[in-house]
Amino acid sequence: MTAASGAAGPTVRTPKRPNRFLTGGSVLSLTWLIGLTLLAFFADYLPFIRYATARTKSVTNYKAGPGLDFWFGSDRLGRDVFARCIYGAQISLRVAVASIIVGIVVGGALGLIAGYVKGRTDATINVLFDVLLSFPALILAVLVVGRLDVLAADVPWLTRTWSVTIVLSLLSIAPIARIVRAQTLSLSEREFVLAARSLGAGRMRILFKEILPNLVPAMVSVAFTGVAVLMVAEGGLAFLGYSVESPSSSWGKLIAENREKIDVAWWATIFPSLMLFITVLAFNVVGDRFARRFDIREAAL
Amino acid sequence: MRYALTRIARFVFVFVIVTFLVMLATRIGSKDPVRDLAGGQVGPEVIAKVEADFPYVRACEGTITYAPCMVSQYARWVGDVFTGNMGYSYAQNQSVVDMFKQRGPSTFWLGVWAIVIGLIGAVPIGVYSAYKRDSPLDRVLSLGSFAVLSTPQLVIAVFLLYAVANRVAFFPNIPDYVAPWSNPVEHFRNFFLPALTLGIGLGAVWSRLLRADMILTLQSDFINLARAKGVSPNRVLWVHALRSSVLSLITSVALQLSGLISGAVVAEQFFQVGGIGGRLVIAVQQNDILVIQAITAAVVAAVVVVNVGVDLLYAVVDPRIRQARALA
Repeated sequence: MTAASGAAGPTVRTPKRPNRFLTGGSVLSLTWLIGLTLLAFFADYLPFIRYATARTKSVTNYKAGPGLDFWFGSDRLGRDVFARCIYGAQISLRVAVASIIVGIVVGGALGLIAGYVKGRTDATINVLFDVLLSFPALILAVLVVGRLDVLAADVPWLTRTWSVTIVLSLLSIAPIARIVRAQTLSLSEREFVLAARSLGAGRMRILFKEILPNLVPAMVSVAFTGVAVLMVAEGGLAFLGYSVESPSSSWGKLIAENREKIDVAWWATIFPSLMLFITVLAFNVVGDRFARRFDIREAAL
Repeated sequence: MRYALTRIARFVFVFVIVTFLVMLATRIGSKDPVRDLAGGQVGPEVIAKVEADFPYVRACEGTITYAPCMVSQYARWVGDVFTGNMGYSYAQNQSVVDMFKQRGPSTFWLGVWAIVIGLIGAVPIGVYSAYKRDSPLDRVLSLGSFAVLSTPQLVIAVFLLYAVANRVAFFPNIPDYVAPWSNPVEHFRNFFLPALTLGIGLGAVWSRLLRADMILTLQSDFINLARAKGVSPNRVLWVHALRSSVLSLITSVALQLSGLISGAVVAEQFFQVGGIGGRLVIAVQQNDILVIQAITAAVVAAVVVVNVGVDLLYAVVDPRIRQARALA
């Protein structure tokens, strides 16, 4: 039993266009995302990407505009903006993807429990979500990262990259759990669950064999839109000064630190902004296409 | 009535938990809370004075006494806040109440104008798109709103700064607060760009929401009835249909509030509006305990109050919801 909404019954109005997942937009988006991931992953081995922290000696003018030498120009310290964008992609992607995985595992488990067990457990978990959701995300993030900084003095492994990942994971739990809970609630009243129950299937079997597989499409869609949201959040956090530790940098940090020189070196700010915009758009397009393909509502984070 | 009371009780509970957790965070992430409050490098006599002024800011010790100590600190803080003493920022040499009076209006107007800009953009686009569904212009508008929706606020801000603020002399890079009634033009100059940064994204969200809702509404029987009775198409669209779709818009305005506040912090920093958000960022860096506690409490209170308000308004407007929610 997969969520096959494509197989329309006779009463359902057939959509004008076939509801395929692979359309021009989503193919383009996937290409961009895969290409970017490969570039970021193999950045150290590709000859045309200079080490992001290396200063370029060849130019005396350290704010060189975009051109053949520097595809995206060079920044105020003479570093290649293109390379910094690619290395920024490494951090931005890693942080967002790691956080969404934690969010889906933890939020998914909580939502599943809340939606299936109901009753008092559901109410308790719901209050927890209310607490998390009543707080503007960015303020929560600033507070937690700011406080973790103090703790980090005694804990050597707790770098900024870690604390940003922790915060973003925390932020993604409640919205994901909400979606999973709603889906579980509606799924658990479907006929196939009733059928499984009347065949004598136990709770665990119903949860893992009947409900969980049906949640997968929604989760894939949430994962894509969620990564987009988290990248934006990371950008905001970086802009407020709570980004990864130097010399590594994320897109948000690149935008933030080059912003003040925007009137003399626009490329150092505009190109990271474009990268962030295109990537977020691509993630959103893929998530949206996926949600439409499987007819998922409430998939927005 | 019972419905209203349970909602309110629940939100009060959430408010208490959140503000308590914030207080806990300011204490845990600090070596010496009193010194943080006093503003860092100060002599012992200042510390002693701060300690006397705010006895409920101190480090709790011991494993068994920790929780009761925290709870009593929280209770005394709440008591102080309710009697109008929200504390003092020694680092900024300003009482928290004065801070709110000085910076509150900027943030307030920023939020109001962002919502206004969002609605001005969303209502015509949403109504038109729903009415002329699948027309070429609707396709373009839908695509456009999706793209705008995916644009991070930071990117919008960068774009506005680069393309507008740096080129158009009319918009100052560093705005001051001017009340709209004392000088409307100056007020507009100062708040337009930051409000636009926030408003564009809101407009995109709302136009999509309104479009989806209006499409459903336009298919319902009462619209057909109105048309059959000979009500003019414009009146059907803008009065009959829009009115019943406005409810979901109101809910969304409330739901977006917490996102709006997050966005306002970034926009304030970016355009250097002297608002509450910028103050909070600095306060977190300095662990200016009472400022953090007061601002977060205010923010959560605003979110909570608006949510309760919308919930109740919803129930008042639409009896079906009142019934359904009471059962749930």
